[in-house]
Amino acid sequence: MEQQEKNAPDRELSFVTGGEVNIRQDPWWWLVIAVIAIIVLLVMVAPVPFKEIVVFARSGILVTVLVTVSSYFLMLILGLFGGLGRLSKNKLIFGISSLYVEIVRGIPLLVQLIAWYFASPVAIQKIGVWLNFAPLIEYRANPILTAIIAITVCYGAYMSEIVRSGIQSIPKGQMEAARSLGMSHFQAMRYVVLPQAFRVILPPMGNEFIALLKDSSLVSVVAVADITRKGREFMSAHFNPIETWLMVALLYLVLTLFAARIVSYIEKRSRHDR
Amino acid sequence: MTEPIIEITNVHKRFGHVEALKGVDLTVMEGEVIVIIGPSGSGKSTLLRCINRLEEYEKGSIVVDGIPLDTNQNINAVRREVGMVFQSFNLFAHLTVMQNLMLAQTTVRKRSKEEAEKNAKELLEKVGIPEKAQSYPSQLSGGQQQRVAIARALAMNPRVMLFDEPTSALDPEMIKEVLDVMAALAKEGMTMLVVSHEMGFARAAAHRVIFMDEGQIVEEAPPDVFFVNPTQERTRLFLSKILHL
Ligand SMILES: Nc1ncnc2c1ncn2[C@@H]1O[C@H](COP(=O)(O)OP(=O)(O)O)[C@@H](O)[C@H]1O
Ligand SMILES: [Mg+2]
Repeated sequence: MEQQEKNAPDRELSFVTGGEVNIRQDPWWWLVIAVIAIIVLLVMVAPVPFKEIVVFARSGILVTVLVTVSSYFLMLILGLFGGLGRLSKNKLIFGISSLYVEIVRGIPLLVQLIAWYFASPVAIQKIGVWLNFAPLIEYRANPILTAIIAITVCYGAYMSEIVRSGIQSIPKGQMEAARSLGMSHFQAMRYVVLPQAFRVILPPMGNEFIALLKDSSLVSVVAVADITRKGREFMSAHFNPIETWLMVALLYLVLTLFAARIVSYIEKRSRHDR
Repeated sequence: MTEPIIEITNVHKRFGHVEALKGVDLTVMEGEVIVIIGPSGSGKSTLLRCINRLEEYEKGSIVVDGIPLDTNQNINAVRREVGMVFQSFNLFAHLTVMQNLMLAQTTVRKRSKEEAEKNAKELLEKVGIPEKAQSYPSQLSGGQQQRVAIARALAMNPRVMLFDEPTSALDPEMIKEVLDVMAALAKEGMTMLVVSHEMGFARAAAHRVIFMDEGQIVEEAPPDVFFVNPTQERTRLFLSKILHL
C-alpha cells in the first residue's frame, strides 16, 4: 500500500509532508494508544470492577457513537441549509433561518433536550386529541430519536453560522466570475463557492464533531442509555464511584482523542489536495 | 464593423445616494475595439458590469446581440455571449488552470470533457502558457493569471469581451504580456470594451476612445483625434494629468 502511494508521483508530495494516518507523521496517535493501554491494563489487573464496567457500558458506547454520528451528519445538512438561508436575498427565508439560529443558540442544549423529550410528546398528544387521531394520541417519545433530533436542531444552528461565515469568507469576485461565464447562481455555488468555503469550514467542522461527542453525554438525562447513563446505573448498583467514573472518563477520552486524530488527518489531507 | 452588437440607451444606475451612471448612450459595432478612460469613480466599471448584468440598472435599456437584458433567461444568454476580465483576475482558486478553463464549458455550454479540454489547450497555447495547465492560480504570476483569465473567458466563444482595468493590478514588467494578448485578440476582430489607462494600447488597438466623467460619456473619438484634439475642457484636463504621469 505504501509502495503504491509512492509510485504515484502526484501523491508523493502529500506523503512526504504529512497528513497520513501514521504515528511517525502524527505523534499524537501515541496518546490514543496510551489511553487504550491504560484501559486494557486496568481491565487486566483489576477485572473487578473495571472489566465489569466495560462490559456493562459496551452497549452505551454503541449508543453514544450512534447518537453522535447520526446527529452530526444531520446537523451538517441542516447547517448547510441554515447557512444558505442566512445569506438568502429572500426576506422570508432569511427571516426564518435567522430566527432559528438566534433562538436555538440562546437556549442551553440540556434545556432543549429536556423540552424535546418531555414537552414535545405532550404537545403531539394534545394535537392528537384535538384532531381525534389515535396514532398521535398514543404517541410515546423514542428516547434515542428524540435525542438525535434535539442535538441536530441545536448544533444545526451553530453550524449554520459556521457555513455562513465560511461562504462569506470567499471573495465576491469568485461568484461574479462564475456568473459572468454564464453559470447560474446554483452552479456557481455548487462548483465555485461551496468547494472553497468547505475548506474554510473544515477545521471548525471537526471541532463541532468533538464538541458534539462530548455533549452527547447530556442525552443520559432523557433516558438514553449512553456511556454516561450506563456509568450512573453501574455506580448506583455497585457503589464504586471512583472506579466507575475513571473508566467512563477514559472511554470518552479514547473516543475524543481518536476523533481528533481523524479530524486532523482529514484537514491535513485537504490542505495537500488543495 | 457593420452591425451594432451592443446598444445602450439612456442607462441610469444608482447606489443609494450615489448616481453611478446618469444616462449613458452607447452603440458598439461588431468588431469594434473601444477603450474607456476616466477618473476613478466615474462609472466605468459600473457601465461594463451593467452590460452583463452583474449590476442591475434602474432606467434605460441594454440590448446585446439582439437580446434585451430583461428576463433571467435572457440575462444568462447574454452572459454566455459576453466574456469579462476583471482587475483582480478572479480565477477559481481551488481549481487548476485546466479546470478553470473547462468548468463553464462543461456546465454552461454542455461540451464533452474531451472537447472542453481540447479547447482549453488551444487557448493556453494562444495566451502563451501551455506549460501551466496543471498549476493552481496561486502558483502563477499576476500576468500569467490574467492571461489564464482571458483564456477562460474566450473558452466560452464570446462575441464580446469586457476588460475592467486588466493591467492595473500587475507589476509593470507583466503589463506587456497581457496587452499583447489583448492586441492579438483585437486584431482577430473581437469586439472589445476595455477600461484602461494604457494609452499605448488605446493608440494601437482602439477604434474609438471614450472619456467618462461623473457617470456620463463626455467625449468620444478615434484615438488619433482624441489624444491630439480633444474638444472638451474636462477631457483635456484629464489627459494632461494621465499623460504626464
Ligand atoms: N457596489 C457598490 N456599492 C456602492 N457604491 C458603489 C458600488 N460600486 C460602485 N459604487 C460607486 O459608484 C460610482 C462609480 O463606481 P465605478 O463604476 O466603480 O467607477 P470607476 O470604475 O470608474 O472607478 C463610485 O462613486 C462608486 O463609489
Ligand atoms: Mg473601476
